[in-house]
Amino acid sequence: MARIELTDASVTFTVRPHKKVTLKEYLVRGLFRGSVNPAVSVHALAGINLSARDGDRVGVIGHNGAGKSTLLKLLAGIYPPTGGARRVDGKICSLFDLSLGFEPEASGWDNITYRAYLQGETPTSLKGKIDGIAEFTELGDFLDLPVRHYSAGMTMRLAFSIATAIEPEVLLVDEVLAVGDLAFQHRAHARMKEMMSSARVMVIVAHDLATIREMCTTVLWMEHGQVRMQGPPDEVIDAYVESVNGPPAPAETETPPALAAA
Amino acid sequence: MIGHLTAVWRFRHFLMALVRLDLRLRYRRSVIGVGWSLLNPIAMTAVFTVVFSNLLGSGAWDYAPSLLTGMAVWGFLKEAATAGSRALIANESYIRQSPLPYTLYPLRTVFGQAIHTAIALVVVVGLLMILQQSARPLLMLPAVAPGLALAFLAAWAVATIAAFVNVYFQDTQHLLEVAAQIGFFLTPIIYPRAVLDKQGLYWVVDLNPVNLFLDLIRAPLLTGEPPTAALLGTAAAVTVGLGLLAAGTTAWLQKRVVFHL
Repeated sequence: MARIELTDASVTFTVRPHKKVTLKEYLVRGLFRGSVNPAVSVHALAGINLSARDGDRVGVIGHNGAGKSTLLKLLAGIYPPTGGARRVDGKICSLFDLSLGFEPEASGWDNITYRAYLQGETPTSLKGKIDGIAEFTELGDFLDLPVRHYSAGMTMRLAFSIATAIEPEVLLVDEVLAVGDLAFQHRAHARMKEMMSSARVMVIVAHDLATIREMCTTVLWMEHGQVRMQGPPDEVIDAYVESVNGPPAPAETETPPALAAA
Repeated sequence: MIGHLTAVWRFRHFLMALVRLDLRLRYRRSVIGVGWSLLNPIAMTAVFTVVFSNLLGSGAWDYAPSLLTGMAVWGFLKEAATAGSRALIANESYIRQSPLPYTLYPLRTVFGQAIHTAIALVVVVGLLMILQQSARPLLMLPAVAPGLALAFLAAWAVATIAAFVNVYFQDTQHLLEVAAQIGFFLTPIIYPRAVLDKQGLYWVVDLNPVNLFLDLIRAPLLTGEPPTAALLGTAAAVTVGLGLLAAGTTAWLQKRVVFHL
């Protein structure tokens, strides 16, 4: 059984407004460091509770900088919780920051191998999949070239094809999926749909509210690193839209009480 | 710690694929391939042999193999520390993509260096066999193997510590280079230990862990005498100490270092 369990999870880290301290600076000016280059504490996530089991589809909405991506990274295990607890059971597939982590000097084929091993494949299990991955990229002979020569679109195709080659139990998706040209996008969307229906648990971050309403079983509305509201999609999305657009239309046509009195 | 090491083992295919890539890139684009990487120590050995062998009163044919072995061992430990210190920063994109054990990245560097050093040692053994007209240096390899294994583990530990420190203080790698420059002359590589002892620096040599590994690897190859149990024990203790320090550093920082990359 796949499941996600966040108990009062927080991610807090410190950043410094200026560049990093060097060891020399640290030793020489250690005493005055605080005033010159103070450490600022960032509460990226605070007190998140989330529980998802087989069959759950969690949509995450909110403004930019609300902590949605940080939440995905926390779930993926890239950021450890600095407070509370994180527990994720099941094979994770993360579809975000896809174009990171290629070896520019190595060929497309080699990079497929590295990425696949990174996702936990073995030489034997990869043998049966590598042709399928290569085919899906539609990069053909370009796969023999070093990735350094690829365009951004080609890199994304390669990354997407590898990332979606495993059958995940826990699927983590960041909505931004402008992968390649139009033809590839169609196939990418088809593949995404397939993965979303086969994955046991999914968490998707998106700005496209219609998709979320249609697809998700629960929606999380994030604001300033905290959960503002959590519940059934219709309820949460309506509340979110209302807070962005102001009160719904009928309220605007009524005369405001203050004016009526005057 | 056991869990951490099993995780490293689980991603061994990933690790070895990258090590192979590093070696291919290192030796590619050069006409003589692997030869290039050996050219530097061999050229230095030639120069030092011409300059020093008379000065130190030893014959050129004794001096050259000793120097070449010493430089191979020194080069391995030095590169493990300096190149290893960049391991986490250089692999940031992988760290931001997948939760792998952090010690895997310094291991990538150390593995590459180890293979590189192994090639140099093969040349040394071949040279010694020709010079001594016997197979003795080859037969000494089993006696040297524990020393090489300990050097590998110690290098991994040092690289791990350096890599973590370097994320927080980015001048670490430069300081390490400087320290290595000084260390090279405080280690009996281009001259025998007696030269340093005469200057009253015997305590520096005694405290120098690199010297330990020189005694474990260089001395048996040259003299044909296997290392003493006491020496092996000391080296093992140093390695365990470094290993614990590395494990402690990893346990302490692995949940925070990603925020500083």
